[in-house]
Amino acid sequence: MDKRGIGLSAIGYGLTVIAAGFLAAALYAVFFIAPQEAVLGISQKIFYFHVGSAINMLIVFGICAIAGLVYLSIGNVRRSWADVADAIGVATAEVGVTLGVVVLITGPLWARKAWGTWWTWEPRLTLSLMVFLLFLAYLALRAFAGSDRFGRGVAAGLSILGIPAVYFIHFAVDRWGGAHPQVVYKGGLTQPGMRLAFGLSVAGMFLLSAALVWLRLTTERERQRLDALYLEVDRRAG
Amino acid sequence: MDELRRYLAIVRKDLRVEFRTREILYTTTLFALLLVVIFAFAFLSDPAKSRDYGPGIVWVTVLFATTVGQNRLFDRERENDCLWALLLSPAAPSTVFLAKATAQIAFALLMQIPTILLILVFFDLRVTDPLAFVGALALGNVALGLVGTLFAAMLMNSRMKEVLLPLVTYPLFVPVVIAGVKVTAVAIGAPIAEDPEVWLRFLAGFDMIFAVVTVALFGRMVRA
Repeated sequence: MDKRGIGLSAIGYGLTVIAAGFLAAALYAVFFIAPQEAVLGISQKIFYFHVGSAINMLIVFGICAIAGLVYLSIGNVRRSWADVADAIGVATAEVGVTLGVVVLITGPLWARKAWGTWWTWEPRLTLSLMVFLLFLAYLALRAFAGSDRFGRGVAAGLSILGIPAVYFIHFAVDRWGGAHPQVVYKGGLTQPGMRLAFGLSVAGMFLLSAALVWLRLTTERERQRLDALYLEVDRRAG
Repeated sequence: MDELRRYLAIVRKDLRVEFRTREILYTTTLFALLLVVIFAFAFLSDPAKSRDYGPGIVWVTVLFATTVGQNRLFDRERENDCLWALLLSPAAPSTVFLAKATAQIAFALLMQIPTILLILVFFDLRVTDPLAFVGALALGNVALGLVGTLFAAMLMNSRMKEVLLPLVTYPLFVPVVIAGVKVTAVAIGAPIAEDPEVWLRFLAGFDMIFAVVTVALFGRMVRA
């Protein structure tokens, strides 16, 4: 690995350490500073990491869609941009799906206690599920549609179509859901201890996502360079 | 004007090939009819309740049978790399795309006429609002056709296109199915409090936005 590579992975490890610090502080704040919620009791504490993951999942998927746009617009003219945008697309989609798993596991756990059922077709829940499924399809494309220009282009196209799709899905499930349980945090967090725990969780999950995306991105860039070297060897041998 | 002639030429070519071989129409219609029969065995326990699941059966049948047809849509373009020949012709990529999408929507609608009549008969459904019923199917098929044609073209050469196509398109089709089922339910007189006009507008909006985005994407995706 050359000096640049070492510097790039050092950023990744640095981010990981900072994220670990924030997550430890968030756990402390969640369990020892934030008071117990009057109605829901201890189960409400899932909320801090649940919402933290959900917010970051949407941020990460948003970046994936932007990377798709860059890939299909500027990437058509400049090869190097295309490679970077493509690597960002893979990294963000994989991390986003991981966050989606966290959201979809913590959500039902909380729903069981708060609403008495594992799953309700509540609009926000349904939207999360649909976005998650959309990016699982994205990963399936990356895995099985080939890593050539065709496969990369179709995956980028899907991530872009995701933007209008999320808007329409949001509207449709909102109306379709009909009467749904009032989401508990609508009123906002008034208690300062809760707000601190919430802020730390969101920031911690954000840093963790950033670290994971960065590490995945550098790996993908290495893979791209290796591929290029293989092609070069083939060319010289042939 | 020239683009319109090229568009019509590609549509005519597709329709002529299809009417001579009947590959897509015959197979998808038969598939759809079999689906209806299976649904009848699976759901028809109490005919009085058929209005509850009738709309769902209409839309699931439309969705599945259309997907089967979309997988075959670019078969002829794959042989001898004919899609590249089409793209190398003076026709703009968006013209090629719109022509293929038009052909796809035409095949889907032709397949659905006998299928839906059969559903109405088998499940004893009465259409009280024919305009909304047909409108939802027309608008819904445009939505399915635009998105499906885009991905069918891009996955044309993929070894796993048969499974990848629905994996990719179904999450995008969810709002179309929701809206379609709602309008169809109202149109057959199901007792739900819904305004079909809102959902028809929603479908029209979906069609317009996805028409713009898919046309813009097709040219870039085939070049990428």
